[in-house]
Amino acid sequence: MSVPRARLLELMKAQCQLFSTTYNPTGIRTGNKILRQRLRGPALASYYPRKLINDRSLLEEFSPYDLTTTREEEEDRLDHIAALKARGKGAPKKKKEAPVVHVKKRK
Amino acid sequence: MSGPANPISSLFRRSKKLDIDCFINVWTLRDHTKRKAFEATEAQRQALRYLVRNTTLPARTRVMAQLELTQMHAYTRPTQIKNRCTMGTKGRGILRDFKMSRYAFRMNALAGNLPGVKKASW
Repeated sequence: MSVPRARLLELMKAQCQLFSTTYNPTGIRTGNKILRQRLRGPALASYYPRKLINDRSLLEEFSPYDLTTTREEEEDRLDHIAALKARGKGAPKKKKEAPVVHVKKRK
Repeated sequence: MSGPANPISSLFRRSKKLDIDCFINVWTLRDHTKRKAFEATEAQRQALRYLVRNTTLPARTRVMAQLELTQMHAYTRPTQIKNRCTMGTKGRGILRDFKMSRYAFRMNALAGNLPGVKKASW
């Protein structure tokens, strides 16, 4: 005993209403599956562990307690720079104007 | 995607401030930049993908959407993202659950740094 197609379609329609899905008997590709996908960005972007604290934020956090702190690496760095400057080997100062471009004359 | 100062273009450059805390290498930094770029443009990509896949839309619209999608920066593509080892930036043999390469995983597991991980023996 075969069921007429119209009857089956009716059933499908009722099903769609009941379960709030889209009635699409001809199977047209509407791209809705793209809209149904979840966004993966936040999960992918949090792959590498984020930096939560650094020296400065730690010092700021504890600044009201008036603690004496030493930052060895930072002091070493500053000493090194001071030594370079004393020998006249420090990094040049930042130029305020755009550098002058020397154009070679054609011979 | 037009205008003098494109805010998205800064996405494809490495951030000036280091915002990740693991083994740092140019590969890790590049991959992290790609991840952030993908996150920022994902909604746009999905909208374009929807236009492309929707066969009820006029063909011209769909082709335009396809073009715009292909012309987006490479860093906005999810296929550019690669899981790397967070302890040594190796790109192959990564255990997803631990974000580590198989060797780093072995070393850490044997050292007892990974809670619940135990060497099988029977």
